[in-house]
Amino acid sequence: MDPNSSDIGDALVLLGVGMITVFLILALVVISGSILVRIVNKYAPEPVKKLKRASRSASGTAPEVIAAIAAVVETVTGGHGKVESIKKIEH
Amino acid sequence: MEVLNKLYEMTAFGAIGDDPMTLVMLALALFLLYLGIGKRFEPLLLVPIAFGVLLANFPGGNMAVTPSTDIIEHMTIIEIAKEYGIMNMLYYMLIKTGLLPPLIFMGVGAMTDFGPMLRNLKLAFFGAAAQIGIFTVLISAVALGFSLKEAAALGIIGGADGPTAIYTAIKLAPHLLGPIAIAAYSYMALVPVIIPLVVKFTVTEKELKINMKEQDKLYPSKIKIKDINRTKIIFPIVLCAIVSILVPSSVPLVGMLLFGNLIKEIGSDTNRLMVAASDTIMNAATIFLGLTVGATMTAATFLDKTTLLIILGGFIAFAISIFGGIMAVKVHNLFSKKKINPLIGATGLSAVPMASRVANDIALKYDSKNHLLQYAMSSNISGVIGSAVAAGVLISFLS
Repeated sequence: MDPNSSDIGDALVLLGVGMITVFLILALVVISGSILVRIVNKYAPEPVKKLKRASRSASGTAPEVIAAIAAVVETVTGGHGKVESIKKIEH
Repeated sequence: MEVLNKLYEMTAFGAIGDDPMTLVMLALALFLLYLGIGKRFEPLLLVPIAFGVLLANFPGGNMAVTPSTDIIEHMTIIEIAKEYGIMNMLYYMLIKTGLLPPLIFMGVGAMTDFGPMLRNLKLAFFGAAAQIGIFTVLISAVALGFSLKEAAALGIIGGADGPTAIYTAIKLAPHLLGPIAIAAYSYMALVPVIIPLVVKFTVTEKELKINMKEQDKLYPSKIKIKDINRTKIIFPIVLCAIVSILVPSSVPLVGMLLFGNLIKEIGSDTNRLMVAASDTIMNAATIFLGLTVGATMTAATFLDKTTLLIILGGFIAFAISIFGGIMAVKVHNLFSKKKINPLIGATGLSAVPMASRVANDIALKYDSKNHLLQYAMSSNISGVIGSAVAAGVLISFLS
């Protein structure tokens, strides 16, 4: 394995071309990302969600409790189950 | 007596006695299995690779990959399976064609979140600086007598990306695939050791205490993302177009990465595709990649000086890449009011997300409130793109 001077020259060229290309591509990633964010912000901003005050449902159960129960039912039933009513069982 | 002779010939004892170096390879396989199982060094890939080495080096099993020849190149897959066994069939069908690394990249894309990078776009530059190890080791390897193609395949270990290293080796130096894969994955597993080692000698305590969130408060970003979900859906499409036009040879890797990411970001409509890419396909590809790469490592192909040089060169490439990222941050800090923690530069090599986690842990040691994981992920993810682009440049120039 003897080093070849022309190979070393080619390797130096690759160093220059390779690093410039990687910087160029990532610079374009940065620039295109910034432009994309501006365009999306301008033309398709996310609808502002109105926060409702937590209130109790007709059954008297707090919304966060209903959400927790619904999430558990969805997980356990693999998305097939649905919560229609919640009743407290007296012991 | 004749029966005993036949029984002896049926077993592998005779063949092992004829070639004692086989025992060295079997010991190496057991050592790699120990690293994967006992030490948990990248077990998902190191265990299949190690077992592939084991299978390939039991004589008579016909599970070792036969180096490519003109005759094999012109055989059909069925002929290869009949003549050389199923491991060769898998190798020539899945590895030699370069199929598996892009499939793994698709899975990686389906598990990658570009959100941290979009929120800290400027940090993506450090993913470029951390590719310097690839090219400096390429030059050193040529000086040591490696051919340009072999040197490029060796240098790409510095990108710290296993599939990229394997893909480049397949395209440029398939005869070095085994040692390159072993070096790449071993050093990726050693990221928690190598990054702190390089940081220890190059970064001061004051620099390590630079708190990224405080810097953000002092110098807030001019652009706030209002709809991150839409942005994350459009981003892979835009990025794919840019990379495809400028470095088409990196498209098999980057394109599949971005496709995987797109089906993840679309959400429930493509959820089944995302699950397939990140789970079923990724796992199957990992098994076959590991076993076949391991099966390339026989005593005849692995036990020589070149392997040692690759293992050593891979480590140097890795360390220089981390050093390059750190130095780029230091240069940035000289000219900018908003300081960046040099650990962000250290994560510019791939090895997602382990490099980011290691950087985060180091930062927390010096300041318990300095959680920089999200910032590190930006340069870490850009490092994946950077190393794939570097591989594309090398392949298009040298193949």
